[in-house]
Amino acid sequence: MVSAGEMLVLAGLVLAVAATRGFSQTNHLVTAPQTTQFLEIGSNFKATCMIINTTEVTADDLYWKLSKTTVSKELYTKLNESAISVTIPVTSGQSEWLLCRAEKGNSAYVSLNTGKFMYGVLLKKGYPPGKPENVSCVAVQEKTTISRIFRCDWATVGRQTSDVPTKYTLNVVVIHIRNYSVSTEGTHTQVEFVDTYPHFMNLEIWVEAHNMLGKIESEHITQDANSFVKTNPPSDIKVISEKYFPTSPLMNWTQPIDKSYGKLKYEIRFCTIGSPNWTYVPKGDIATDIQSFRLQSLQPYTEYITQVRSQLGHWSDWSGTTMKTAEDRPTSKPDVWRIIAEVDGKNERRVQFISKDPVFANGRIITFDIKIQEQKNDNLQWDTILVNGSESSDGQRVITVLKDMLLADLRPVRLCVTANNSVGTSPMASLFISAKGHEDPPVKGLKVWSAEGKLWLQWTPPNGPDLSEYVVEWVSGDQTDWQRENKNTRLTAIKGNLEGFVRYTVSVYSIYSGRIGKPASKEAYLKEGAPLEGPVVRLNDKPGRNEAELGWVEIPLHRQRGFIVNYTINYTGGGETHEITVPSNTISYTLKSLSSNTKYDTWINASTVRGSAQSSTHSFTTLKYAPGEVESIVVGVCLGFMFVVLMTMLLCLYKKDVIKENLWPRIPNPGESTIGNWSPDYPLKAETPKENCLSGISVLDVDVCDGKSMFEEDKACLPLKKDKYLSEEHSSGIGGSSCMSSPRQSVSDSDEGSDMADTTASTVQYSSVVASNGYKGQTPNPHPQQAVFSRSESTQPLLDSEENPDMMIQESSRQSQHFKQENPAEIHLLEMDQQQQQQEEGVESLDFCPLDEESEQTKSSEGQSAASSYMSQREGYRPQ
Amino acid sequence: MAFDSSRTVAASRNQQCGDSVQKSLKLSRLLQKESVDLIKTYKASQGEMSELFCKVSVNNVPDPNISGLEPSEKIASIYTHLQEFFPHFEWVYKQQTDLQLPTSPLLSDLRRFTAGSRNLAYLIKPFYQSLFPNVPLPEGGPTTLPPPQNVFQQKVYGCVVLKTFKELLSNVSRELRSLKSQVCRRRTHTNTLF
Repeated sequence: MVSAGEMLVLAGLVLAVAATRGFSQTNHLVTAPQTTQFLEIGSNFKATCMIINTTEVTADDLYWKLSKTTVSKELYTKLNESAISVTIPVTSGQSEWLLCRAEKGNSAYVSLNTGKFMYGVLLKKGYPPGKPENVSCVAVQEKTTISRIFRCDWATVGRQTSDVPTKYTLNVVVIHIRNYSVSTEGTHTQVEFVDTYPHFMNLEIWVEAHNMLGKIESEHITQDANSFVKTNPPSDIKVISEKYFPTSPLMNWTQPIDKSYGKLKYEIRFCTIGSPNWTYVPKGDIATDIQSFRLQSLQPYTEYITQVRSQLGHWSDWSGTTMKTAEDRPTSKPDVWRIIAEVDGKNERRVQFISKDPVFANGRIITFDIKIQEQKNDNLQWDTILVNGSESSDGQRVITVLKDMLLADLRPVRLCVTANNSVGTSPMASLFISAKGHEDPPVKGLKVWSAEGKLWLQWTPPNGPDLSEYVVEWVSGDQTDWQRENKNTRLTAIKGNLEGFVRYTVSVYSIYSGRIGKPASKEAYLKEGAPLEGPVVRLNDKPGRNEAELGWVEIPLHRQRGFIVNYTINYTGGGETHEITVPSNTISYTLKSLSSNTKYDTWINASTVRGSAQSSTHSFTTLKYAPGEVESIVVGVCLGFMFVVLMTMLLCLYKKDVIKENLWPRIPNPGESTIGNWSPDYPLKAETPKENCLSGISVLDVDVCDGKSMFEEDKACLPLKKDKYLSEEHSSGIGGSSCMSSPRQSVSDSDEGSDMADTTASTVQYSSVVASNGYKGQTPNPHPQQAVFSRSESTQPLLDSEENPDMMIQESSRQSQHFKQENPAEIHLLEMDQQQQQQEEGVESLDFCPLDEESEQTKSSEGQSAASSYMSQREGYRPQ
Repeated sequence: MAFDSSRTVAASRNQQCGDSVQKSLKLSRLLQKESVDLIKTYKASQGEMSELFCKVSVNNVPDPNISGLEPSEKIASIYTHLQEFFPHFEWVYKQQTDLQLPTSPLLSDLRRFTAGSRNLAYLIKPFYQSLFPNVPLPEGGPTTLPPPQNVFQQKVYGCVVLKTFKELLSNVSRELRSLKSQVCRRRTHTNTLF
């Protein structure tokens, strides 16, 4: 069913189409409404679409699209064959297009002219405006008059969208005279009155909020124009403190605007400097249009901030000044305390009496009068202590040292103190110090902790009688301060200015009718932090091979900034890092299981509950050997060596016969042989040759000839000798039967004399050959020599050569001649001698060897040896 | 009930009467104070012999005296006298605009003072109409502005106008004080009688 309203819409559409004939010629669809629509979110919107100037499509071909979404056909209403309507809910706040479109698949016209079969309406969504609230207006003072600028503020209510913004219009009506109106999109604006501010005129003020969805007005305010005026604060404020009225200073000011603008109300307040709490003078006590006021109940000699403000319409800002009330007599006792220090070696205490100014000093304390009584009835004179007059800048009361004195341990005293300012004297305070050891009991269960930036204390009261009050004392270094608490106090906070990271010793003294009891003490920090530095690390002793003892110095108290809870020892060496935590009361630690000959770096972290600080790194190197280890090795080796030597010696002693048998075989004594009897008529002792060159063991031996004799005699001596040796020499036969097989004249070479034979018992004289003819230049023995042939019957080889190398050389020289005879036994002996001589003397023995022998030696040795032998030989002729 | 109702209405009217008179009185005092300041400013801005200007008498300046015996006549006289001065203020302002720099405080003070005086007249009118609703308030006769003047005459004329208006304000304040006690009390009394 099509309603009457829808019919009207259709009629309107037809008229609209007729009016827009030109448009209809190009478009076959049209909607109602046609223009941009502002819709309230949450409402429903209805639109109608109609086909015009075509029969290509019908209402059944029409459909609606909202943005990119096709609207469900359930929301359509077919009005007739050429028109449909749709009703959609307005939900989101985004603006969007609602399009009416036509679609007919079998129509080429429709497909080719889609633009003509589409029509849309832009939907902008929002909320109706909210009613402005809290409208307030003000006109401020400008010089001596009120400004014509009239500013108003208000608060918005409800929501807005960017598509439907709300504007506000401020309306100000000067009743019966003029209206002012200003619009804005914000929440404040101003109007400017023409020529003057409308004093004493009634103003009607309201704010109208309006947008495309409606408008609404705020409540109308109708008030006298002066009720919107905000004057300047009062000026030239002065507070006069009079000597005889120290608690009632007089306050004066100049009113900000002329009285003709209206009666001004005032408000007055004051507080002490630093106090956050203001004291307000009751409004009923302040008359209007005044310019002075006498304050009451202020503290004498106290700095105050006094302020005043005025009101014509709105209250002005505050203006004020600072002042100090006049002095008055002190009205409370001075706060007396004492510091006691033990004196070493004496039964005395060093007592320092100190005092703070009275709480109500009411002026600057100039002097303290003190009296120290040892007995109750002492009637001593008062001593006057001058005060230097300095005042604390941090609001704390100044502590004055009243007296220093030595007090015997068993001597109690009573101190009486009064404080004086320029006006009068305070009530008397007293302090009683008991004899040492006679103090009353302390409080019990004292607890100290930090919270809310304060140090809190809690304790249980003692059982002593006459408890009158408590004194809470806190000491840091040489700074002492205290406060008093009444006897019912169980929990309190220290009111002094405590510093963070500083260790305080907090004590609670119970006071018994003026007598000071024993204290209960605890150490505490207001605030803890990490230490500022680590401990100083060192080695207590030289490092060992596998251990080292670390020691460290405790961090200075002012650098600890908290209680040290533990130390962490770190050491690294050989690529490994170790960590050991030890309690806070430890100041040394021995590192064990270290590697020898290794460099270690060690450092210590000192920790509080808030952090830790690291010491500087200390390095050390462990030893390669433990102390005494080297000595032990040396001693062991020595002992072993000595043992071996001792054992060897013992072995030698026990086995000396065997060793002697092996090393020194038993040689038959030639003297005991039968040779002595073999030629009894021939002297055993050979005749000593006269010539030096022939002196020696053997006449054949030229080796022993010194160079000098050789040069002196004849350089051809050698060939001659050789000739002689070849022709005349009679070599001795050595050995047994082989020698005997070719008998020859032989002289034993023991002709050197019997000395040798005598002196060298071990020398074995094998034979003695005496030539028949002498050597060259040698005078033959004029006595016919008998051929002497002596033979040893010993079969022992030339063992004496080992004992007497000289002899061996001679022997070798002599025996070298024997090679001519090619006696095998001699050759054998010679070879042995040569080998031994070569080992001991090198080529020296070869220097004088015969050619044949040389050739043989050349065979056994290298040619080089022969050459060197030659050179040596030649040199051998030189004087040596 | 009727008695109580009329009493309430009477009290309300009495309150309105008192408020209107009080506001008018306050404004007249404020204008009085401002007129003193304005005359000082005027003299200071006229150069030499400014004191002399204000001692010269000038014709064609409205009479500052309030006339009439009845309150309605007095109030009407206040209103008409105020109205008579406004053209003279405009004339003085125009003359001083030619004589002063645009930034001269005298010009702004003149504008503010004139506007304040108009406001006083606006306050008197509804007050009169509320008191005497059946008696029309005369708007005042045509005032005669002075003929073209030289500079000296202009300066003298301005000062005389301000001084005369100050005198008028003084008279207005005095009359309003008396009217406040006469009119508002009497009407209250009259109403309660009904």
